[in-house]
Amino acid sequence: MIFEVLSKVFRQLRYSLIAVLIAFFTLSTAILQPNIGLLGAVFTSGEISWVSKYNFLIALYGSLATNFSVVSAVSTVLIAVLLGMNIALLVYYIRRRQIGGNNKAGNTASIAGIVAGTFGVGCAACGTVILSTMFAVFGGGGLLLLLPLHGAEFGVLGVILLSFSIYQLGKRINDPLVCAA
Amino acid sequence: MEDSQPATQQPVGAAAVQSENSLIKDLLIPISIVLAGIAIGVGLYFSGGPAQPQAVNPSGAPAAAQADNTGLVNEVTDQDNVKGNLNGDIKIVEFSDFDCVFCARFHDTMNEIVAENTDVAWAYRHFPIEQLHPQATAVAVASECVAKIGGNDAFWIFADGYFAAKSAGAQVALDVLVPELVAAAGVESGAFASCFENGETLAQVQEDVDNATATGGRGTPWSILIGPSGKTYPINGALPKQAVEQLIELARQEA
Repeated sequence: MIFEVLSKVFRQLRYSLIAVLIAFFTLSTAILQPNIGLLGAVFTSGEISWVSKYNFLIALYGSLATNFSVVSAVSTVLIAVLLGMNIALLVYYIRRRQIGGNNKAGNTASIAGIVAGTFGVGCAACGTVILSTMFAVFGGGGLLLLLPLHGAEFGVLGVILLSFSIYQLGKRINDPLVCAA
Repeated sequence: MEDSQPATQQPVGAAAVQSENSLIKDLLIPISIVLAGIAIGVGLYFSGGPAQPQAVNPSGAPAAAQADNTGLVNEVTDQDNVKGNLNGDIKIVEFSDFDCVFCARFHDTMNEIVAENTDVAWAYRHFPIEQLHPQATAVAVASECVAKIGGNDAFWIFADGYFAAKSAGAQVALDVLVPELVAAAGVESGAFASCFENGETLAQVQEDVDNATATGGRGTPWSILIGPSGKTYPINGALPKQAVEQLIELARQEA
């Protein structure tokens, strides 16, 4: 059932494009965000050619292989893809329901969907994303030592949550359009 | 006409409300999931950064709001543990943690960088994250004892050997690996034991930690490239070799 829905939605260029763009944006953010200061220093320089700046930016994408553990790299890519699919499905669903783009619930879901990407996306090397959050919220410096993957579990959890969200949306989309009783 | 108007509008309005309620109900699960994400995101924003040693970032300000303080990095001198050309135009100061797997990766990258670039000096400084790596501070102290007794070359034998062993999956740190590396570095075990047990180099390690956090370090490896013009570039994490090479080239262009 869910595959039929996905096939139906993503055969349309508009929704495929939404999914790809959001996935790319999410992945780029996860990879480049730890070095946003470095990018700023490079891109604001007037003495560096744009070709060099562009080449450096492309090279920085290699951080996915060096700056992430295998688990966090895989979960980051999966979360980016699933987030793109999730939002594309939301847009499809809301449009099919003929509710305008300014619908409060739809907007909330879309914006919050992007934020949900932080739920496990991150660069473990820098210890900057979920680790710090858990330290701050729970104040437990040793908490992560108790986890076998030292926090990468949250990436796996993010993948599961987003997959579940897509499944739920697929079910809703597959429901026949009927008037409310 | 006027009397009949409310009667015809009522069902339309009710249907619209029901439709909207139905939509909210349908989206309840996706919204619940993403709201959990918001909670994490908010926590992240106000956390002020990372898994880092206590007493670092005492301001508690959100990391994103911190200014570029990389210019506060302590000058590279012959007192540092330096590999490469100390008088080179390009200096890369790395704040590292001996038990951090990403530091091990970056260590290999930097070894290749200094081997291939004669104008690069690589200064190794300490940024052990005890919350994640309980033995890291002790290893850092041990490495500085090796440097104090055996000199710069001895330090690099110790550091290269430690990272190589960790990369190969060695689990033992202080008990077996450190004495082996101390011996390999040519440092007399009695002198090392005295230095280590008395914590003679702890202040040195703490100074590095303080400088790492003062310059904006929020995790390891944290590095600062200092170009020929003195301009500093923050490097967060283990950049791929190609990116480091290109950054060096960009710094040369800004000379």
